[in-house]
Amino acid sequence: MSENWIEIRNMSFSHGPRVILDNMDMDIPKGKIIAIMGPSGCGKTTLLRLISSQYHPSQGSVLVNNIDLSKLDREGLFKQRQRMGMMFQTGALFTDLSVFENVAFPLRVQTNLPESMIHDLVLIKLHAVGLRGAKDLMPAELSGGMARRVALARAIINDPDLIMFDEPFAGQDPIFAGILRDLIKKINHAMGCTCIIVSHDIAETVSIADYVYVLADGRVIGHGLTDEVMNSTNEHVRQFLNGLPNGPVPFHYPAIDYREDLSLNRGES
Amino acid sequence: MLDFVQRLGRTSLDVTKGFGRAGIIFWQSLWGLPDFKSGPRLLIQQIYFVGVYSLIIILVSGILIGMVLSLQGYTVLVRFGAEGALGQFVSLTLLRELGPVVAALLFVGRAGSAITAEIGLMKTTDQLSALEMIGVDPLKRVIRPRLWAGIISMPILAQVFNMVAIYGAVAVGVYWLGVDQGSFWSNMQNSVEFYEDVMNGVIKSFAFGIVGTWIAVYQGYDAVPTSEGISKATTRTVVYSSLAVLAMDFLLTAVMFGVD
Amino acid sequence: MYSRKIELIVGGFILIGILALTFLSLQVSGLMLNSASGDTYTLSANFNNVSGLTKRAKVTIAGVNVGYVTGIKLDPMTVRATVTFAINSDVDYITTDSIAAIKTAGVLGEQYVDISVGGAPDVLENGGVIYDTQSALVLEDLVGKIMTSMTNSKE
Repeated sequence: MSENWIEIRNMSFSHGPRVILDNMDMDIPKGKIIAIMGPSGCGKTTLLRLISSQYHPSQGSVLVNNIDLSKLDREGLFKQRQRMGMMFQTGALFTDLSVFENVAFPLRVQTNLPESMIHDLVLIKLHAVGLRGAKDLMPAELSGGMARRVALARAIINDPDLIMFDEPFAGQDPIFAGILRDLIKKINHAMGCTCIIVSHDIAETVSIADYVYVLADGRVIGHGLTDEVMNSTNEHVRQFLNGLPNGPVPFHYPAIDYREDLSLNRGES
Repeated sequence: MLDFVQRLGRTSLDVTKGFGRAGIIFWQSLWGLPDFKSGPRLLIQQIYFVGVYSLIIILVSGILIGMVLSLQGYTVLVRFGAEGALGQFVSLTLLRELGPVVAALLFVGRAGSAITAEIGLMKTTDQLSALEMIGVDPLKRVIRPRLWAGIISMPILAQVFNMVAIYGAVAVGVYWLGVDQGSFWSNMQNSVEFYEDVMNGVIKSFAFGIVGTWIAVYQGYDAVPTSEGISKATTRTVVYSSLAVLAMDFLLTAVMFGVD
Repeated sequence: MYSRKIELIVGGFILIGILALTFLSLQVSGLMLNSASGDTYTLSANFNNVSGLTKRAKVTIAGVNVGYVTGIKLDPMTVRATVTFAINSDVDYITTDSIAAIKTAGVLGEQYVDISVGGAPDVLENGGVIYDTQSALVLEDLVGKIMTSMTNSKE
């Protein structure tokens, strides 16, 4: 029981009439790197928001460390969230604060540490992501890759038990993707925290993940240890992992008959 | 026909829901304990962005409107040989109506749209979600300082507007058109009541500050988090707040100066 | 980066606001800071008709501003209007036989009180009363009189 940090049971989430996640079960073991992969728009980011209780499930439950966050009041929720770090797809740095203040922000809000200690802690984390020299820059002056490294430093500043990465590799050059991959691996090793990586960059993600979930259409279509999933015989999973244009996930968006749409029958009517 | 009734029903439900959400945001962000040590600093920073940045446009338009009022008033009053009442005409028009309303409309266009765009952008770039994740209520950290900054800045801007407009009127009326300076000021002082005119103007601008900033923060907070959503929200802010300011002005005028 | 400079500018901004409000209240609405009675003293006068005279209307001697009207009341005994005014204390030569008249600045201008100082040896102290008064000129009455005299002369 204590092996799993997060347990999702029979959970569904719908936005208006649209069902985004459908009757999902998921176990996330403690201290491992878990990859959640799937094509765009399959509800990966939504899943992260459900775990951090920014959204509430329409049905079923999400337990984090055996606590149902959706049942907590605002204060209790914020307390639990202090043990989570999240790195957003865009970095989500506060544009009105410098790099140093961005990283220091969670500490200032959540703790009463003296300024000198905050200073040291922030520099340690910035050093870990290689941006100690950039501490006085403003977010607007950073490149996309640097912004994400700052976001990573901010996500780990209070040594959380759970770190969520939303598309950390999307739109990054190979060098940065490699740097980030190694950083995540190192952090997971050094801090023993649970890391969830949501991504559709298969090569980068698979190379560090211990356990893989593959989602499609709001459902889990395959999961297991990384090797198992990579060698899966499930057609759906294979299509996604190998990047085949056609398979169970159709290339064409549902439409009426092609010939009819082009009005090829016009002459007859 | 049935379709029309259904649309009407849905629209009114949406509008009611919108008002409800806006009300909750307003209430939650206005009151409550400051959750963050740097509360005053955030407020000062926002007064800087909301108030001080609007000062230039307020000063320039104030002078110009004062000059125009003076010129127009003079051409009418001089026909009756009553150009001495120019000060009275200009100051009452400004203090009761034009000052608070025009300053509020300028404020909405300058600061309100900026507030909406900024909050919308923070939403689009996940900054609001990031705050949530860190355990900070965005209503308190982002919305509250902006709301208060607007409420504090608006009356200041309106009074500054009135002051420079009256000096603009003096420049045209006294130095150019040659109205007697003494009768200009004494006429003004005799007809303007402190509580009736000056304070009611201040109260009006307070009310406009609340409504204008409220609409601006709500539209930003409720914006669809895309670039298109932000541009639409910004437009809505300007349109809705301008209409709200004018409608409230009529109501307040009816209450303050209306028939007893 | 923000702290000092922005705080200074915002402080200046709020000062400008206070300055503007002070300007509007003192210079535009002519609000007097209720100064101690050392600066002014009070006189009163009874008029048959004060039509259009308001509180804070100016009081002049020979066209020079020397004070302002502080109150207008109806005296139930005499059924006349009792007007009180505050006079600057350096104007201490208003004699007992002075005349107070309500006049109009221009045709459409505001009403004010003009005091013509007489030649009596005694001056009025605080609380003194000017007995000799001229009431406001009521335009309608005047027009009415002219009309009747014109019709009379026709006949």
